Amino acid sequence: MPGRLRADNGVVKRSWRQPWLVYLTGGIGLIGLYYALPWNSSAQAFVYDGIGISSAAAVVAGTLINRPTRRLPWYLFAAGLLSFAIGDTIFNVYADILNTSPPVPSAADAFYLAGYPFLAGGLALLILRFDSAQRRAGLVDAAMVTASFALAQWVFVMHGQLQEATSSGEKAIALAYPAMDIVLLSGLAIFFLAPTWRTVSYRFMLASIVLLVVGDEINAVSGYAYVNASWLDSTWLLSYVLWGVAALHPSMTSLSERRPASPPRLTTARFALLAAALLTAPVVYLVQRGRGESVDILAIVLGASVLGLLVLVRMVGLVKALDRLREEERSARTNAEDAHRLIADQNERLREADRLKDEFVALISHDLRTPLTSIMGYLELAMDCAGVDERQYGYLEIVQRNSDRLLNLVNDLLFVARLEAGQLELNWKDLDIAAIARQSVEEAEPRANAKRIELTCFTEEVPLVSSDKGRMFQLFDNLISNAIKFTPDGGKIEVRVTGAAGRVCIEVSDTGIGIASDEQRQLFDRFFRATSARDGQVPGTGLGLYIARAIVDAHGGEISVESTQGSGTSFQVGLPAVPVPLRQVRELVT
Amino acid sequence: MSEARPLVLVADDEEDILMLVDAVLSGAGFDVLQARDGARAVELVRERRPQLAVLDVAMPELDGLEVMRRVHCDPATANLPIVFLSARAQEADVKRAYELGASKYVRKPFSPRELVSIVSGLLDDV
Repeated sequence: MPGRLRADNGVVKRSWRQPWLVYLTGGIGLIGLYYALPWNSSAQAFVYDGIGISSAAAVVAGTLINRPTRRLPWYLFAAGLLSFAIGDTIFNVYADILNTSPPVPSAADAFYLAGYPFLAGGLALLILRFDSAQRRAGLVDAAMVTASFALAQWVFVMHGQLQEATSSGEKAIALAYPAMDIVLLSGLAIFFLAPTWRTVSYRFMLASIVLLVVGDEINAVSGYAYVNASWLDSTWLLSYVLWGVAALHPSMTSLSERRPASPPRLTTARFALLAAALLTAPVVYLVQRGRGESVDILAIVLGASVLGLLVLVRMVGLVKALDRLREEERSARTNAEDAHRLIADQNERLREADRLKDEFVALISHDLRTPLTSIMGYLELAMDCAGVDERQYGYLEIVQRNSDRLLNLVNDLLFVARLEAGQLELNWKDLDIAAIARQSVEEAEPRANAKRIELTCFTEEVPLVSSDKGRMFQLFDNLISNAIKFTPDGGKIEVRVTGAAGRVCIEVSDTGIGIASDEQRQLFDRFFRATSARDGQVPGTGLGLYIARAIVDAHGGEISVESTQGSGTSFQVGLPAVPVPLRQVRELVT
Repeated sequence: MSEARPLVLVADDEEDILMLVDAVLSGAGFDVLQARDGARAVELVRERRPQLAVLDVAMPELDGLEVMRRVHCDPATANLPIVFLSARAQEADVKRAYELGASKYVRKPFSPRELVSIVSGLLDDV
């Protein structure tokens, strides 16, 4: 049934376009056909040979389609499968055309036996992609499985076969097939015990090898009685097909890719494997005793020694790996402790810096204000004294003006220190910015008048803005004072407050000296002073506009400047208004 | 007569400012008691029963807020109006002082004229 599968690129493809599925379906169909055809007919033999050859072709095709990083293992598999298929064909030529059983050993046996090293070699090459420690562990595990299997194979299959065989050729064949199964199984064991790959392709290949070995073993145990077609054929036929499918499946590429090694662990499975290996010799001994056979003591002792040695090697490897892990863990813990100590140190230093900053804020706040309190207080007392003449009063006014400047500077520095310490406190209230503007202009009028500057104020009725009253006055004062400072005598300053689309816009424009366009961007930077301000000897610290921007930012608004050098500057501030419910708007309108 | 001149306590650890406030308030027609630390201020309030106290907040050992707490704990002086003078000008400080029962919080530097009008206003209310 053509189902729908999602391909890697996300496009839905019809499954019949997937070559592995086509081959799997076709292969199983051919196996069905094999059993449907008259048994021991030429057609049946033809199908059998065809399946064998097709599997070799499928492996080559899969390799070409899927382009794995290493192709050699796959070509070795194809060669092994082809060798088997040629063996099948020769066997069938004897059976169908010559109508005779092939001699022992025959050319068919040669091809069959030649196939196994190719397959085992391919598996070994795939396994070479492991990291060395993992590879060593896999090899020892495989050697144990192989030694156990070899011991059982020798005692239960090969030894008996050898005794039954009459000619030296028969003896050779009796030894060769089980030996080749051991070779194949050793490859499979490494492959199987490797903990990394669990892909679809891997499973198909595993099934294929298991079927091949099972078929061979059944055949061997039943005394190589195979001549004619039988149900046993299905194991070999399916083995062919599944190997081809494994090569055609896209996941075959990951079989030859290096995977990150997982850390070695003493799992139950590993212990079970070691225990099973150690138990093989006693079990074989007990089975032989139980069957009343003569005990093959040499093989059992040899097998037990080899297995014991391998278990020892494996244990040493595991212990070493665990030691290495423990060492790594220890150094990792030391590193973590060092890092932790470093962070603690840095935190301590940061806290110290923070404390110094707070102390600095307190210093500005208290220690600078206290002497200023005396200066300004006594100054006012002195100016109120009756005996001060006009000239002296003028001097005192100069002292007062400069004290005011000093106080403003202290306040500005305090503001900046708090701002940077994240201690800026805002007292939120819904305020009428237009009223604040009018009051600020009124307060600035004496200073404007002193320079014969025409200071005007235009305000619309605007929505309320959630803001801090003190900071809003500070914002207006900064902008208006700036304008007065940078506008020559007889100039003009206009303050406008307008409302538009949920916003309140403030504009303070003057006919002052202006700011060079390349300096406008830096204007709101801390301690920045424009060239025109420095050249014009206008006093200032470069904090006013920095503070203005900080206030606007804290209220979620934005501030910008437009200026032409020599003809004037305009600052625009936009502040978000408090949303007014529609009903209230109607009430306001009516 | 002396009864016509209201008695005001002034506490500040800064000699210059203590003298300044004394001069300002004396000049405005008040009798002034001077205290150079918080403990002395509490003592003078108990002994001399001034009509109003002008306290510096940041004094060593007993600060202005603690002086206020002790004075207001005593039923005899529980209603004494207290004006704070402080160089600490953060909103939180001002808020806290009012919450604890201050009548007025004046930031340093202050204008002498303004202080006189505040003190006079508070005494008129009493």
